[in-house]
Amino acid sequence: MTAHVAPHRWADAWKGRLDKAEVAEMDRHAEACARCAKARDRITRASSSTFPAMRVQSSPELSWDAVRAKIHWSVSTERHQRLRPSRRPLAAAWVLAGGLVAAAVVTGSAREVAHERAVAVAPTSPQEIAPAPLAGLVSRLSGAVMIDGLRAGAFDRQLGPGAVIATGDGRIDVQFGDASALSLGPRSTVELRRFDADAIELAVEGTIDIAVAPRAPGQRFVVVAGDREIEVRGTQFRVVHEAGALVVACRHGLVAVRDAHGELEVGAARRLAVPSGRAVAGQAVAPLSADELAQLVQATPVTTPLWTDVAELARSSAALDIATVGRRSVRLDGVELGQAPLRVRVMPGRHTVEAADRAGRYHRAGWVDVKAGTPARLDVHTDVDAPPTASSAARRRELHAGIAAHRPQLARCTRALAKAGVTDTYVTIEISVDASGAVGFLNVLDSDLPNVDCVLEALRDVRFGAGSAATWREKIAL
Amino acid sequence: MLTPVKRDSGSVAALDPADEADLIARCRAAERAAHDEFYLRFRRQVAGNLYRVLGDRTDLDDLVQEVFVIAFRGLDRFRGDARLSTWLYRICVNVALGRIRTRKRRPAAYGVADLDAASADPSLTERPETPDRTLERRQEQEQVYRALAQLAPKKRIVLYLHEIEGLDLKEIAYLVDSNPVTVRTRLFYARREFYRVLAGAPAEEDEP
Repeated sequence: MTAHVAPHRWADAWKGRLDKAEVAEMDRHAEACARCAKARDRITRASSSTFPAMRVQSSPELSWDAVRAKIHWSVSTERHQRLRPSRRPLAAAWVLAGGLVAAAVVTGSAREVAHERAVAVAPTSPQEIAPAPLAGLVSRLSGAVMIDGLRAGAFDRQLGPGAVIATGDGRIDVQFGDASALSLGPRSTVELRRFDADAIELAVEGTIDIAVAPRAPGQRFVVVAGDREIEVRGTQFRVVHEAGALVVACRHGLVAVRDAHGELEVGAARRLAVPSGRAVAGQAVAPLSADELAQLVQATPVTTPLWTDVAELARSSAALDIATVGRRSVRLDGVELGQAPLRVRVMPGRHTVEAADRAGRYHRAGWVDVKAGTPARLDVHTDVDAPPTASSAARRRELHAGIAAHRPQLARCTRALAKAGVTDTYVTIEISVDASGAVGFLNVLDSDLPNVDCVLEALRDVRFGAGSAATWREKIAL
Repeated sequence: MLTPVKRDSGSVAALDPADEADLIARCRAAERAAHDEFYLRFRRQVAGNLYRVLGDRTDLDDLVQEVFVIAFRGLDRFRGDARLSTWLYRICVNVALGRIRTRKRRPAAYGVADLDAASADPSLTERPETPDRTLERRQEQEQVYRALAQLAPKKRIVLYLHEIEGLDLKEIAYLVDSNPVTVRTRLFYARREFYRVLAGAPAEEDEP
């Protein structure tokens, strides 16, 4: 062999595609040729170790929740756009009317047809003045929330027509008028399809609680849940729209739920459940239980006591961060806000914060003086050393098995530290699992890692079966 | 039906066909919980596939998002002639191909930092790598991705799937929406070019 060996032949040789005599001849050539020897070494090494290593390389950790929220936002926005009524018929009518006018001018009967045109198009004249758009201001925020696909700065955003709000494990309250606000629950999306003085139209997937002051005559307020609508005049109510099923629960006032086949009214302290694929008309309105009513009271959106111009309100109020170790129910000035950590909009002055212990009793956690336009923060320190529940032993075993299964994933979280010689890291978590095996909450109480997101991501992948409900704390060596 | 062509060390257990059909039906009905389940089940596989094909994690979040949006949008057209994971892999390949074409117009540098972001499956080796070996492995991978970057996008994808992922021509033809003969032709030229660059050899002079 006088010419050099074509490099891809070394790959063929490594894969055993060449006969032994041919490989031997190539090797003899490589012994005398530095270039071919180098090519052989490189390609053999790549084939034997680099390619297999690449083949099993796993994905780096990403902001999974943020990606999921973006996907949901994209998909739901597309779906809503498809469902939106098309404006083409109107445009076609205009073209047709224009055509008629032109034809009439040509035939010398312009005057008569011009009169016909005026009669035909007057109700939908494009010169009509558009209603003034409304603006919303975030009044409470906790957990992962995204507005128009952006997570950063959500609390300070003003919301207008077309805005899309999506929540991960978080919750957001938006005030849009005096005593009028919405509260979007976890894993939900709402699109402000119409948001002006004439009408408010919200398209929702998931859970939304709404409190609306009585509307002026001619003002519409509609929540669109798939192919059904909920129309209100002035009330507080909850809409849950998931997997095609709809539940409407009304705390006070009156709402009308309708679809293509009919309409039902849901009054104060009553609820209507419409299973997926069923018509509204065939369903029964039932009274709310005391627990359900209490849930509605707790879900009341936060509103500021005085509603003025949005920009002015943003200037004259301030954000108050209530920080807790793990999740704790908190009250602000005696009003329950739900689970902290959260951020709430408050007016200037002194505010008292209380936090609940495990038994649900509220204790004063401190007070904070707030100035207009200046963010404030209060750290809540509560006694979190309650013993684990008795039924946690079996759940603990499940957690340990899950951790063992996810060891490689956890090892990646500490790889950089391990390389720097830092070992024996740990994370202390508090976890709650219900009887169905669903994780109620998973909080990191303590850790010596600079960032626990990666570990949390791995632990969230641990699955539990059906069994006893349990809440306990666990120190995990990493 | 094509069998699953991809394995991912971070993926969850495979769905059986009945569960898969049920999940698809619920996703088609725009059930939010089904979308979440779909995402949770396949997110690591999708991210891993994209990461391995492209060799760096720039905009990986956006690409994962793109794959799932395309998947949810196209589930109505999914005929079930391949497993769901294979169909998703096909979308990954197409999204990666689009990214490679974009990058061809504006080449990106491959750095050690990119490859440092994720690491090989620890189960691959019995004991932890030494720092020297880790660095060496990263450099070798960097060389491979540099060589891949020299190829035309279609050749690159075919070569990657065959030489590195170890897929056969029929599987590759499904993934790149082509026929096996075309794939074989592309692979023939791609292998010559790729190994020549990897070996650091000049263009001509080689044995035929």
